[in-house]
Amino acid sequence: MEKKIRTVNILKETRKVSEHVNEERKKYIQIRKTLREALKEESKSIPQLAVDTNLPLPDVTYYLMTLLKFGEVAVDGIDDMDEYYFYKLIK
Amino acid sequence: MEATNNDSMNRSNAGTTDYDVLVIGAGIAGEESALKLADMGFKVLLIEKEPSIGGKMILLSKVFPTLDCAACITTPKVSETARHPNITILTLAEAESIVKEENNLFSVTFKKHPRYVVENDCTGCQECETVCPMVVKDQFQFNLVARKAIYIPFNIANPRVALIDIENCTLCGACEQKCPSNCIDFTQKEELVNIKVKSVIVATGFKLFDPISIERYGYGRYKNVITSMQMERELAPTRPFNSVLRPSDGKVPDKIAYIFCTGSRDHTVGNPICSQVCCMYSTKQAQLLMGALPMADISLYYINIRAFGKGFNEFYMQAKDMGANYVKGKIGSISEKENGNLILRYEDIVTGKVTEKEHDLVVLSVGLLANHEITKVFKNEKLELDALKYIKQPDLLQSPATTSIKGVFVAGTATSPMDIPDTIMSAGAAASETSGYLNQWS
Repeated sequence: MEKKIRTVNILKETRKVSEHVNEERKKYIQIRKTLREALKEESKSIPQLAVDTNLPLPDVTYYLMTLLKFGEVAVDGIDDMDEYYFYKLIK
Repeated sequence: MEATNNDSMNRSNAGTTDYDVLVIGAGIAGEESALKLADMGFKVLLIEKEPSIGGKMILLSKVFPTLDCAACITTPKVSETARHPNITILTLAEAESIVKEENNLFSVTFKKHPRYVVENDCTGCQECETVCPMVVKDQFQFNLVARKAIYIPFNIANPRVALIDIENCTLCGACEQKCPSNCIDFTQKEELVNIKVKSVIVATGFKLFDPISIERYGYGRYKNVITSMQMERELAPTRPFNSVLRPSDGKVPDKIAYIFCTGSRDHTVGNPICSQVCCMYSTKQAQLLMGALPMADISLYYINIRAFGKGFNEFYMQAKDMGANYVKGKIGSISEKENGNLILRYEDIVTGKVTEKEHDLVVLSVGLLANHEITKVFKNEKLELDALKYIKQPDLLQSPATTSIKGVFVAGTATSPMDIPDTIMSAGAAASETSGYLNQWS
């Protein structure tokens, strides 16, 4: 089978990845790992996740909803007050 | 394709009189004009700076006053435009210069930004997205969630083809490894393309007012103060969240406030005119919210209700009958409580008293602003603007699509704020006047 040409190597010769992009990538990987870890045992609401992970509430909402969009988590019901949804990890 | 002395770009010259009409902007006005002209047999080039055609309408949830699904109306038109044999579409393309020549042809140069994906080969499978390690705010979800650095703009994008946000790409090459159709191409460069056309239609639409400049509303500081376009996304079938939720903590809101005329009818922000649509789209959203969250209280703070179109007043009365609470009041300021709830301090115009009320989500009904950047593209003749910086219509009553340049026409909200039916009519007028001009030409 013919070896795939990696055009990204050509661009790498003239373009550098910014520090900001690298930092953001690391941040996302870390938060994703933290949220997935926190959801491993049971489903949780956003405020519960914020307490368990020590992450700010808006950050949990933003990244958890992103994981929902990417199909990594799913809704698992709502609390008795109909205020907060629970989210579960999709294995 | 000819090389240029600018080594970061390729330049192509597609020859003479390539198209009868260049339509700039592929929102509903541009699409409608292009379709009408293409149906008459004219060759149309439709250019769009975004990666998908469809403009802002394709991102809406439903339309007023019929509450029809916006995507259901837009998508067939988008597909018809994309498939029409007389229409050529170029996305990620921006007009750089337009020069009117002595022979009345327009010499157009436009920049085609690289997608880093071979458009014809991409199947839209999104395999590349699954391996991309980088996320950034999703501009098509108005920053409520993230997207990958390689992404398809949204589910009903047309073309449904991936693109790479090179500024945020880590150059890891994972997408290139994963792509089953080998369509990732990091060697793509910006291209400058030269064409000649007989006429031009400007359908560049409007800009949304950015409420960050009204500091007392706290937008950008308070997570639960959002714009009407953000709420529009929350209500759309392709919504960013699983339901209507507060961005601060994912709570289902039950006391929602709308603030009308945010950035319109306001001299202090430089936009003294009515946006024509914010009363009605807020009323539409209120009705949709009452359907989605039956227990929620919806309060709408307004100065005057302008329900002037066909069926608009009935639509407004219907929202009131459903339980929407319209409050004639001017908002002084918004402050945030520790739990993320918001205190609205406002002057009740009926009683004259200053009152405070607590809500858990505030939606700013943002206004429309002129998008006049296209004027600098016209090099040897001036595309004139009116006092409010919309494209000037020198003969508004008899020839509403005519501009200050013969052969250049204007469609839709490039002329003034207007709703969707008026935009379609304006686009029809532009197509009609353009065809008349082209027939004179031949």
